[in-house]
Amino acid sequence: MITARDAGLVACQQCGQVHPLHAQVCKRCEGRLQSRDTESLQKVWAWLIAGMIAYIPANIYPMLLTSTLVERSESTIIGGVVELFEHGSWGIATIVFVASVMIPVGKFIAIMYLAISVQRHSSQNRHGRHKAYEVVEFIGRWSMIDVFVVAILSALVQLDTIATVNPGVAAISFALSVIFTMLSAQAFDSRLIWDADRTQQ
Amino acid sequence: MSDPNETGPAAFDVRPVKRRIWQRLSLVWLVPLVALGISLWAAWQSYADRGTLITISFENAAGITPGETTIKYRDVTVGEVEDLEFSEGLTVVLVHARVDKVVAPFLDDDAQFWVVRPDVSVRGITGLETVLSGVFIEGNWDTEADVAQTQFTGLEQPNLTRANQRGTRVVLRADDGGSIAAGAPILHKGIEVGYLEKPELSFNGDQVLVSAFIESPYDRRITSSTRFWDTSGFSVSFGTGGVSLDVSSLASVIEGGIAFDTVVSGGRPIDDGHRFDIFQSEQAARESLFTDPNAEVLEVAVLFEQSVSGLSEGAEVRFQGIRIGEVSSLNAIVVGDASNAQVRLQAVLAIEPSRLGMAGNATAEDALALLSDFVTRGLRARMVTGNILAGTLFVELVEVPDALPAIVNLTSGEFPVIPTTESEISDVAATAEGLLARINALPVEELMDGAIDLMDSFERLANDEYTRATPAALVALLDESRALINSEDIQAIPGDLRNVIGDLDSLVTEANEVGLIADLDAAVATAGQAATNIEIATRNLPQITADIEALTTRANELELEALVASATASLNAIDGFLGTDDAVAFPAEANAALATMRALLDDVREGGAVENVNAALASANEAARAVEDAVSTLPALAARASELVDQTEAVVNSYSERSRFSAETLATLRDIQEASDAISSLARTIERNPNSLLIGR
Repeated sequence: MITARDAGLVACQQCGQVHPLHAQVCKRCEGRLQSRDTESLQKVWAWLIAGMIAYIPANIYPMLLTSTLVERSESTIIGGVVELFEHGSWGIATIVFVASVMIPVGKFIAIMYLAISVQRHSSQNRHGRHKAYEVVEFIGRWSMIDVFVVAILSALVQLDTIATVNPGVAAISFALSVIFTMLSAQAFDSRLIWDADRTQQ
Repeated sequence: MSDPNETGPAAFDVRPVKRRIWQRLSLVWLVPLVALGISLWAAWQSYADRGTLITISFENAAGITPGETTIKYRDVTVGEVEDLEFSEGLTVVLVHARVDKVVAPFLDDDAQFWVVRPDVSVRGITGLETVLSGVFIEGNWDTEADVAQTQFTGLEQPNLTRANQRGTRVVLRADDGGSIAAGAPILHKGIEVGYLEKPELSFNGDQVLVSAFIESPYDRRITSSTRFWDTSGFSVSFGTGGVSLDVSSLASVIEGGIAFDTVVSGGRPIDDGHRFDIFQSEQAARESLFTDPNAEVLEVAVLFEQSVSGLSEGAEVRFQGIRIGEVSSLNAIVVGDASNAQVRLQAVLAIEPSRLGMAGNATAEDALALLSDFVTRGLRARMVTGNILAGTLFVELVEVPDALPAIVNLTSGEFPVIPTTESEISDVAATAEGLLARINALPVEELMDGAIDLMDSFERLANDEYTRATPAALVALLDESRALINSEDIQAIPGDLRNVIGDLDSLVTEANEVGLIADLDAAVATAGQAATNIEIATRNLPQITADIEALTTRANELELEALVASATASLNAIDGFLGTDDAVAFPAEANAALATMRALLDDVREGGAVENVNAALASANEAARAVEDAVSTLPALAARASELVDQTEAVVNSYSERSRFSAETLATLRDIQEASDAISSLARTIERNPNSLLIGR
């Protein structure tokens, strides 16, 4: 398989316009042209680690602070899932669990896998890895569903002493974690997947 | 691009210089570093700010929820319960809680925790906020950081006193805790200045101790001469001013209350924990100024063989006339072994060493040693009459010069035992008691029976046919006399007299010689005999009168109104007797008879006839004899009256006061006397002038 780089070409990452290899600025969208991002992996790892760090307090601290007339409750992500599960709300519990736990953790694993495989110049299953990268980048934003729920509830339920919902520390941490992992996924230069053979030579 | 197949110099292996690792590093690594830094900082902050873990043990954890129940200090949340668990053996509930680092150093050994629950009492409603929010744990500690602790025992009842509340805590002693409740107010001149805490039984179980807190600045009013008294409920007193109802505050009516006042000056300032007694009333408190509840007390026992009736708890113990203590308890104990068990009455004496003249810091042991010394020299305990009227006793320690040797028995029982000597219970009291006993023993019932019997005898006598017959007999006699006088023979006399009137003059002149005078003399002698009998009877009358007077004198000394009622019936009977028609009719009949006789004699005189005068005189003689007979029954009547009087006298012998009974008796007796006098007078008249029978004057 021949790559654009092999053909002496470079494509604009934004608009797809093909330029000669030495070109530096896209003549159509004036985007910066770069055949390979040499610091891609570093960025990936840096954002990934930041996202993982942010994910820890997101699970330890409460996501929602609910105050009603008679009680005040704090619920973490996992605690909320367990509570929903115990109340029989299987569907909602599953959605929250998938959006808040499975997707972020899956993203971490997927990005780590991609980064490691590129570093090892693995030439196996390049199409599969590329598809995985596409999925990770697409699905990342849906992790924000939790943050949206918290934001909407906090905005709506402000009934003074009767009932109040406030975002907890975990909401910010979780949002940061999602943002960092999205940046990590974006920093990944998927073209590196196809360079494995070349560099090896 | 280079073609491998092209000829030419081989391509150089041109490689860029491998840049140093820090040159290759992207700036983006700052992001995770910052994230890591923030996380670590947050973690450290969280760890550093984490409160101190303390453990509070409670009997039960009603309402305490981990993660929700808070710990409050002055209504500020300073901690939260994290966990609940049982202690080993499930004895108590351990509440693990975190408290803020700020307050943790102040949690020393004076820190107290209790659970605040809703509480509705007379004094108000507290803890209402916990109805909605759930219970919380209230903590209280002072503002001085001491050795911090993490293990605490929770109080079951809220502590009423804040640890940093200014005031004085005193301990009050009472014999009975019935009127004391935790939280009850302490009043001073009607103002609530403090409150009682929970009453507790003293160590030996004979008193109730309650801690009381008097808030500053009122606590300055308390000195060692302050007295506390019970103001619970209300008091009603009757006095010259009428009825007085004294009610304190409603709370003190229901919960009880204690008031205090310092009634004399000169008391010393007190420290925390000073002990005071609670008196039953304000009056008792004010009267008790001579006892110091804080003085050390020596308790000794005295065993009395005789009754301790009149000795009561609180009775004085005197030594050489000076009060040195009081009787703290009285009970019966068994001494001796099973075969020779005897019951003794044990009086426990609480003696204040300071009153024995010992130094103020003298201990009970010092006082006991002193007493033991005295006992070997003859000191004995005895009961002495205190109040003659009430019969109260007190215990006196007295030195008996020739006492048998004895020592204080230190081993027999709970208290050292002081030997006793003969008790000196006053004669007055004994006499009074004896008097009362004798009055109690008076045979009042028998007396009443005797009196009733006497009255029955009176009544029987009065109703006796013989007695009643006496006047009747007299009447009959007079009737006979009248019948005689009215008889045809007698009636015929005037006619006959008229018939012989012509002869009368000559007959009269002859009369002296023909024995008419002798007949007259005989008649007069007979009349004189009758008079003598009457005189004898009359002579007995003064005796009766004397007896009656003696009786009256005795009766004058009587005071037994109870007899009067019974007496009245008898007196009525006597009155009835004396008022019988027969008795009343007696003089009238006698008068009638005499009048008839006088009329007859008038006729005789007017007629001037002396015919059948002999027969007439014989009839008169007969009449006189009948009178004599009648009169002869008078001594018997007098004897009976005398006997009656004797009986009366015997009954009333022991009484010595004037009374209605005696008055009535006297009146009755006077009636009898008057009756007797009337008879006497009649008899005397007849005696003085027997001719009157004949001549009608």
